[in-house]
Amino acid sequence: MKRRELLVASIVAALPWRRLRAESGWRTFEVTTRAEISRPQGISRAWLPLPLGSASDWQRALGNAWSGNATRMEAMRVGTYGVPLLYAEWAADTQAPFVELKSKVSTRDRAADLTPSGAASLSRAEAALYTAPTESIPCDGLVRETALMRAAKGSRTDLDKGRAIYDWIVQNTVRDPKTRGCGTGNIKAMLESGNLGGKCADLNGLFVGFCRSLAIPARDVYGIRVASSTLGYKSLGTSSPVISKAQHCRAEFFVEGIGWVPVDPADVRKVILEEPPGNLTLQDPKVEAAHKRLFGSWEMNWLAFNTGHDVELPYSNGPKVPFLMYPNGETGGERLDQLDPDKFKYTITAREI
Amino acid sequence: MALLAAALLLATPPLRLPAMDGATHRLADYRGKVVLVNFWATWCEPCRTELPSIERLRAALAHEAFVVLAVQMGGSARTARDVAEELGLGFPMLLDRDSKVTEAWGVNLLPTTFLIAPDGAVASRQVGELDWSAPEARRRVEALLPRSTR
Repeated sequence: MKRRELLVASIVAALPWRRLRAESGWRTFEVTTRAEISRPQGISRAWLPLPLGSASDWQRALGNAWSGNATRMEAMRVGTYGVPLLYAEWAADTQAPFVELKSKVSTRDRAADLTPSGAASLSRAEAALYTAPTESIPCDGLVRETALMRAAKGSRTDLDKGRAIYDWIVQNTVRDPKTRGCGTGNIKAMLESGNLGGKCADLNGLFVGFCRSLAIPARDVYGIRVASSTLGYKSLGTSSPVISKAQHCRAEFFVEGIGWVPVDPADVRKVILEEPPGNLTLQDPKVEAAHKRLFGSWEMNWLAFNTGHDVELPYSNGPKVPFLMYPNGETGGERLDQLDPDKFKYTITAREI
Repeated sequence: MALLAAALLLATPPLRLPAMDGATHRLADYRGKVVLVNFWATWCEPCRTELPSIERLRAALAHEAFVVLAVQMGGSARTARDVAEELGLGFPMLLDRDSKVTEAWGVNLLPTTFLIAPDGAVASRQVGELDWSAPEARRRVEALLPRSTR
């Protein structure tokens, strides 16, 4: 395909966000990711996460458009979890390789009705997928033992177990500001070392691992914050249109008759650490409010990318990534540092439209 | 049985990896020297904090039979080179692209650092960040040096 034809390859639907404006509570954001391969050597590649495509009552992907000087650009879904991404590839002689992706997404605050209605259930395949171990989240050994004997001890129903695990994580982990990015989600190493410090991929990964080890379907939901919080939490939103380092993952667990229940124990720990004056106690009213709210609801100043683990990046000979939440790239067969937007380099911006 | 267990604990896994300049390094080639093998990753902030102290130790013992090998879990020559330049590191950065060597060495927390005695045996294992240029850490290395180079 000629470069000219690639300049506006697009799968944008026909302005559906205008209709959504009329519906209660929906907000629409345009997120722009510009990735450049600095110091290219040989063939270069980039993988950019795309918004979760399936429509829900809390997120609707309205389309993606991309441009750039790549020889190939293609939206695809990869792996068992069907992770949506934009793949770009540049020939070895391309000067200043770049790709720009614009995604439009509508979101609406999400709150689960925790009263069983009898309607919600998962297929056997879905239940198997969301109770399976991953490379970073084993569901046996110390993970299961901790879930069974400590985190969910004494709880009977899946909802109660989920609540107990959520409370245990809030009470027993810490947000470690020294963790780079969002952490790696290697919960086995966390439990073996006894160091329960980390960031969202670690703390919410613990939640998912504990649930899965008890055969409760659960999943990490990887995404990015796109706006400030309207709930008074400075730490739980963005403070600038540039959101290159605003990636954040959340978690859900599934209860028969209720459906997917959103949680975010990692953000409770973020409130504890970061809300002024800092290092708040669990009894602080602001923390208590967040603790209560983040079991069963998400403020949707954030958009979801995917729920995938152990993602094999197409056409790369490099290792799998534990999850795809940041732009990834490689040049001359060497991976770029996905956590260093200035060197990679990439910029992500968001605006409400 | 106890002796067997001790021997297994001390057995040194093989290490043969390319460096960011393409040269292949084998731990066995450094027999007769003390080797500090440091496992690190780009995403590990404590690793980045620790690496300059290893460089200071290397420089301080530059005339001794002492070698540093840094093994980057999930290695990439590009990121290893960037970190080496940024932190001014003068030791080989080995690329464990598929993390198999990291796994074979039983490393599940980063940073982890092994001191290998001149006879090739694992002398100690340090899990977590350490200031390797501090006197106590330096003494640990010096105690392993062959007599002729002390």
